[in-house]
Amino acid sequence: MAATVAPSQSMMSGGGGLHPLQAQGLHAAQRQHQQQQQQKQQQGQNQQPHEDVEPFDVQNRHLTINDFVRVRTLGTGTFARVVLVRPSHGTEAERSKVYALKILRKTEVIKLKQLDHVRHERQILADVSGHPFITSLVASFSDHDFLYLLLDYIPGGELFSYLRKFRRFDEDMARFYAAEIVLVLEYLHEQQGGIAYRDMKPENLLLDADGHIKLVDFGFAKRLGNNDNEHPVETYTLCGTPEYLAPEVIHNKGHTTAVDWWALGILIYEFLTGYPPFWHQNPIEIYKQIVEKPVIFPHDPPISDEAKDIIRQFCTVDRSRRLGNISGGAARVKAHPFFKGVNWEAVANKQYRGPIIPPVRYPGDAQCFDVYPEEDAVKDEYTSEMEQKYDDYFKDF
Amino acid sequence: MSSTGFTSPFGANANPFGAPRIDVGPMHRVAEEDESENVASPTTHAFGQGPAAEGLTFQHTFGGDAASSQLEHSGPRSPPYLDTYPAQYNFARRTSVSAESLKPTSETYDNWVPPFSPKTPEQLERLKKAISGNFLFKHLEEEQSSQILGALVEKRIPAKDIKVITQGDTGDFFYVVEKGSFDIYVNSKSALQPGPDGMGNKVDTISAGGSFGELALMYNAPRAATVISAEPGCILWVLDRVTFRRILMESTFQRRRMYENFLDTVPLFSTLTPYEKSKIADALESKKYPPGHAIISEGEPGNSFFLLEAGEAVAQKHGVETPVKHYKPGDFFGELALLNDAPRAASIIATTEVKVAMLGKSAFQRLIGPLEGILRRERYVGIKSGVEDTDPLHVPKA
Repeated sequence: MAATVAPSQSMMSGGGGLHPLQAQGLHAAQRQHQQQQQQKQQQGQNQQPHEDVEPFDVQNRHLTINDFVRVRTLGTGTFARVVLVRPSHGTEAERSKVYALKILRKTEVIKLKQLDHVRHERQILADVSGHPFITSLVASFSDHDFLYLLLDYIPGGELFSYLRKFRRFDEDMARFYAAEIVLVLEYLHEQQGGIAYRDMKPENLLLDADGHIKLVDFGFAKRLGNNDNEHPVETYTLCGTPEYLAPEVIHNKGHTTAVDWWALGILIYEFLTGYPPFWHQNPIEIYKQIVEKPVIFPHDPPISDEAKDIIRQFCTVDRSRRLGNISGGAARVKAHPFFKGVNWEAVANKQYRGPIIPPVRYPGDAQCFDVYPEEDAVKDEYTSEMEQKYDDYFKDF
Repeated sequence: MSSTGFTSPFGANANPFGAPRIDVGPMHRVAEEDESENVASPTTHAFGQGPAAEGLTFQHTFGGDAASSQLEHSGPRSPPYLDTYPAQYNFARRTSVSAESLKPTSETYDNWVPPFSPKTPEQLERLKKAISGNFLFKHLEEEQSSQILGALVEKRIPAKDIKVITQGDTGDFFYVVEKGSFDIYVNSKSALQPGPDGMGNKVDTISAGGSFGELALMYNAPRAATVISAEPGCILWVLDRVTFRRILMESTFQRRRMYENFLDTVPLFSTLTPYEKSKIADALESKKYPPGHAIISEGEPGNSFFLLEAGEAVAQKHGVETPVKHYKPGDFFGELALLNDAPRAASIIATTEVKVAMLGKSAFQRLIGPLEGILRRERYVGIKSGVEDTDPLHVPKA
């Protein structure tokens, strides 16, 4: 079934379309690979073609970018790019595997003052790897200019793409995705000891081949600390996505895991209507609405009372009234009438069928992802002064 | 592994997620490319009447080879039903935003103090008025407000046509106009362009008492407009983001820690977890009372608990000449209101200007649950608390 290998033209195409430094790396990798092949052919004429191939163990070796070839870009951000890759060497089975490689440029991370966030991302991803609804970190590594996070490839694409395509979801669909997200938040907040995710939105929810969600991009995730008296300490750095920011973040009142429940309310609203409750061309106007205006529902489509109620309860400015943050936590959310009849154990075991089955043709198929330009704009050099000053921050990669 | 075997315990019709509708079937997932994979819109009720039922196919969005879809996806994606979106709604992917990380002084030990630049009472009044309507300043507490007013720095713009803000540049400052006026220009290319018309069109003029650049107080985003002085001799007040956010953070952070320390001393809360106490600290509301004001009145129903943050107060009972108890900062009173509905057994009168942090019974119950349940966690009743002995508000049970 998985025998089909994607036609990865980009890996053999010229450097023109590539990230400048990666183009170098990929060409080097290709040359090295070709040389190895030639040497092997010269050395052992009578050996079986694949027997002497050194296995590619993604877990137990010091990886470099040369260990991978790019298939294509899956997404881009301000200082990062996520690329579909496959190993450049190893056995045929190993080389047909695919991964999502998140590439972060050190100079941009520093310029945008995201050092702490990047470190948290790596650490938290490592801590939460293996949860059924969270993308798994396979390995991390770095070189002179870049930091790399090697992640499981989730082939179904962004829930965002389906939501925009379908205009909106009906309540059963919204309930399915919301239920899986509730379990992720319960896990992060309550079982992982207070991790705030802080960037919930359809763009950060991928679908796996069966249509279940995977939460990706832990760039803003933060493990809330405890002070000397064991009291959890709120956090203050403003981050997230404008339409999804909780009022306490805008007002810099210190925020906690409660921001994720606010964002879930916004998300369910956007699922059901196709757009978030607070939006404007000018971000300042979004923020004014978030702190000053109640959530208003359109007449069309009609939204059930239970759905309206759960959205209003999540999108409550007063955190002592916000569902998810009040006594009972996630258990209280699960007991809300919107989720009436949901068997939560079945949700956790992925026994409900995903309402959208992504058209994934083979494991490395990227057709569910939008196409992005492969090249980066010219970026600043990572100087030796920067290296001396900052490389210590990246030592965990 | 297949999920198809699962039967909802509530019966097929009671599946809370509805019947599976959008499914191209497991076999179709590895189908040949020329086989169309029909996926109906989930909002179309016609789904299930065969693959032709006004289905949107993935071929249109995701299918085809990379070259053709690249054309389709250049620029923001246009979803179908474009006309049913609210006018001007931007349906493209939304970018995350982030400010620089902010850590309280107690964690960084850098002894930060907010900058202060002196102002005349008239200047202060004008500034206060200028920012009073702004949503970023409206909710501020008095101390925060006065620190921020103190932190604004004067900037003189001597000549006309001086650029204060350039469209497309990074933004770190917020400006209040003290004197003169400024013109706002927007270039539709989102950045200042070279040439005489590079600033684009003039969209507005801001005069004394007005302000601009507030987004920079939240995070560093490219400036959305160019701002130039419209006359000579202008004066601005300037505030930078880090100072603004830090003033808010430090005061909130300190107050939260103070509340938590206070709460740790309340015997009634001794069985609460640190996490629960933090939630209470989060929900406490600050209130100020003038000297002589009755914070609690004897005989009235009690529904709030108070921590004395600053100032002093006394407890008085009808028919008793002298105060029955004195309260100083860090003391608390009225916590029995969280436990029962008994009327207040004494009045608490402010003797100086006081600041209290208060928590209502309903907020407490929402966050923690009924206190009776909390008490049952341990045998609180048996703990020598001191509350029963010393709190004049306590009404012994009959």
